[in-house]
Amino acid sequence: MTLPFFLCLLTLLCLAAIGTPIGLSMIVSAVVYLFMRGQDLGLAAEQILQGIYSSFIILAVPLFIVAANIMNAGTVSERLLNFCIALVGRFRGGLGHVNVVASLIFSGMSGSAVADAAGIGKIIIDMMTKAGRYAPGYAAAITAASATIGPIIPPSIPMVMYALVSDTSIGYLFLAGIVPGLLMGGVIMTMNAYISHKRQFALEDPVPLREFPRVTFRAFPALLMPAILLYGIYGGATTPTEAAAVAAAYALVLAALVYRALSWRALYNLMANSARDAASVGLIIGAALIFNYIVASENIPAQISGLLADLDIHPLVFLLAVNILLLVLGCLLDATTIILIILPLFIPACRLLGIDLVHFGVVAVVNCMIGLITPPYGILLFVINGVTGIPLGRIIGAIWPFFFALLGALAVMILSPDLVLWLPRQFGYQG
Amino acid sequence: MKLRSISNWLQNRATDVAVAMLTVMFLSFILQIFFRYVMRNPLGWTQEITLTMWLWLVFWGAAFMLKDRDHISFDILYLAVSQKVRRIFALVSAVALVAGFVASLPATYDYVEFMSIRRSSSLRIRLDIVFSVYLIFAVAIIARYSLRAFSLVRGADPDADAGPEPKV
Amino acid sequence: DTVTLRMSAVQTPTDVRSVVIEEIFAPAIADFATYEPHYNGTLFRQGTELEAIARGNLEMSITSAQELSNYFPEWSMFTSGYLMRDGRHQINVFQSDIGEEMYQIVEDAMGIKLLTVIYLGQRHVNLRGDREVTTPEDLSGVILRMPDADSWQFLGRALGANPVPMAFGEVYTALQTGAIDGQDNPLPTVRDSRFYEVTDQIVLTSHLVDMNFLSISADVWNSFTPEQQDVMQQAAYDAAEEIYVRQSGLENELATYFESQGLRVYTPDVDAFRSHVQALYLDSQYAQDWPEGMVDRVNAVPGEE
Ligand code: NA
Ligand code: NA
Repeated sequence: MTLPFFLCLLTLLCLAAIGTPIGLSMIVSAVVYLFMRGQDLGLAAEQILQGIYSSFIILAVPLFIVAANIMNAGTVSERLLNFCIALVGRFRGGLGHVNVVASLIFSGMSGSAVADAAGIGKIIIDMMTKAGRYAPGYAAAITAASATIGPIIPPSIPMVMYALVSDTSIGYLFLAGIVPGLLMGGVIMTMNAYISHKRQFALEDPVPLREFPRVTFRAFPALLMPAILLYGIYGGATTPTEAAAVAAAYALVLAALVYRALSWRALYNLMANSARDAASVGLIIGAALIFNYIVASENIPAQISGLLADLDIHPLVFLLAVNILLLVLGCLLDATTIILIILPLFIPACRLLGIDLVHFGVVAVVNCMIGLITPPYGILLFVINGVTGIPLGRIIGAIWPFFFALLGALAVMILSPDLVLWLPRQFGYQG
Repeated sequence: MKLRSISNWLQNRATDVAVAMLTVMFLSFILQIFFRYVMRNPLGWTQEITLTMWLWLVFWGAAFMLKDRDHISFDILYLAVSQKVRRIFALVSAVALVAGFVASLPATYDYVEFMSIRRSSSLRIRLDIVFSVYLIFAVAIIARYSLRAFSLVRGADPDADAGPEPKV
Repeated sequence: DTVTLRMSAVQTPTDVRSVVIEEIFAPAIADFATYEPHYNGTLFRQGTELEAIARGNLEMSITSAQELSNYFPEWSMFTSGYLMRDGRHQINVFQSDIGEEMYQIVEDAMGIKLLTVIYLGQRHVNLRGDREVTTPEDLSGVILRMPDADSWQFLGRALGANPVPMAFGEVYTALQTGAIDGQDNPLPTVRDSRFYEVTDQIVLTSHLVDMNFLSISADVWNSFTPEQQDVMQQAAYDAAEEIYVRQSGLENELATYFESQGLRVYTPDVDAFRSHVQALYLDSQYAQDWPEGMVDRVNAVPGEE
């Protein structure tokens, strides 16, 4: 590691540790790096400006924030979630299950874990914590954990990025994500059921069966939303980014015209809150882009591939070693950085060892998504902290059981390529 | 107090502007989808408006709307220490941010000015104008954290500017 | 002690341009310069490399005529459809005094030296569905993804389609779901990005001979001795020639391959497309910026025939 890079990381860690806003800390430590390297200090602004200005995909984030806030203010989400509660709420830890099920449904309309957490995640956290039924840290933790499923179930922005660097089929990658995504949902729900029983979380009153038609009718227009979006994406109407805007528009029509639950004043306030949330999330995503430049500039990928060059090992050992490395890197780096810069280093080795690249891709993306909830650099933790104000310490304290559950699911995926590749093979994948 | 009410008035106008940016961003995206899928005749400029408004929203919001509490931060250690240590932490933060942004300001200005050689792809707006929001942001951060450093040195409560309590 | 030449490129390490430049260009200059490629746009973002070189933050990149026309309106000539006839014609044009004049404009204004043109392939229209495309009228109402720049969008309209800008990474899904009806790219890109999995036909319109340019900072170039400059220039030409040979060989094989994958591959009335597209360009505001008589000079340069 070079001295400038070391000083840059040191500055970042020190500033972040004493509570300096992370986005601003990243900009300042990037300036330290550029200064030590004798490079143009304007590069920090260049990377962050060009990164935000050219990334159309990131737009899904503010749009999902708006959608979530409209649904919140206009009782849409409450009607929707009341329906889910009637469905699975009677079990202990019911809202936790609702959280995971809703994530599974919503993961089908977004390709980004951050958008999932900032959108539907915020609504469910508010519901879970409303009457003090769940500790804020627990609600945030299960939300962060289930948001990692978003980019595993298609559509998925990280899968598209992996397909580009690995020369694999996006269609097969998408299909290969479905079973692992359901598996992740399953282990989180199992962990939630276990913790709920152990800690005797309060039970929701079971919704009587005769209430079902009424709850369903009240929620019906809201229930249509995921259906419309799923049809939109799979039926050919919209791209994933556009789905975010359609979600917001539909929620607005529903809240303002159908449910008549939204005044002009309320609309202004929710736009102001959305603007504030979008700015704080946007700043940190932008600042992460400077770090992508620094990692590339340090030529860290070439150094790693040099290390790996003449190792003669069993494919499974290699796969496990790579995954451990990715987990460690996931604590420090952004998933985009890992997929675009780190993964390409291992792809030649995978080909050499006969590891299937679709299998490797799914496992690596799942690993990167787990990295989104590992401290100190876990962007989902930051985002949930940003949109709800729940202190990071409480979220991190409650995340561990879910982290280990997901780690177990990852191990299953690593050890059984057949499970991951089963669905793509049904559609003609030769691998 | 008069100064306080002027500051509130400015804060509210900054919020108005941010709400306008977000609204324009949202509407132009909807317009883009409408023209692409319903009219089957895509507009060229909606994507540029959407991206420009998003860029401005991020830096305008970060400059004028975000209190310390609204920023994403790693607050485990900060919340665990005494008031006195918090003051030191907050002062070190403020000084580091001012130093970093002041040091890079000339080169940042130079870069933004350099971008006048290029225009945006659809509306042909000079990119130095589009990117100037970063300069506004940098100057606002310098001003805000300089004031914060001075008030901390003069004994102010480090959590006074922190905005509302956590929403939990 | 050698100079390190950091190259920021948006393509993947396995792309033919990346492979050939590493195989031919890098070893030839190894005595006095170390070639250090950064792929996938990880160092500088796509479209920002020229500014980075001009500001002294980067040494090399691969750029395009569309990119150059953002700064130099006269360069928009090379973004127009049906100007170049084939890859050989393109190489000959840029190794003639035409290339010299056009390169000089870039060097004078931005301090960037263009070493050579790189052949990328003939762009064709790649569609979903079973419509039969013979003339530009048959593309009317077709939502065609074109890269996000006005020059590309204009080309899409000139072909008769409804062009729409969309990030490259979104194209596969958009084709799969029918959010767009088609896209345009050279055949090797259709294979590499697996667009053939989600489309039904390739209309061999050959509307643009796609080109890149290998570029280097003029300050760095001027720091080399004349002998070193000769070596580097020759290495660039050799790499470009090899890319042309491999790329055009691949294009010849791929039409058959796509047919074996169940796609219809056919040639439309290219003359109808050519006259429609050329007429629109000559009428456009772009043509007003083109150097006087340059189109005729380009036409006079010999090509493959
Ligand atoms: Na998804
Ligand atoms: Na992490």
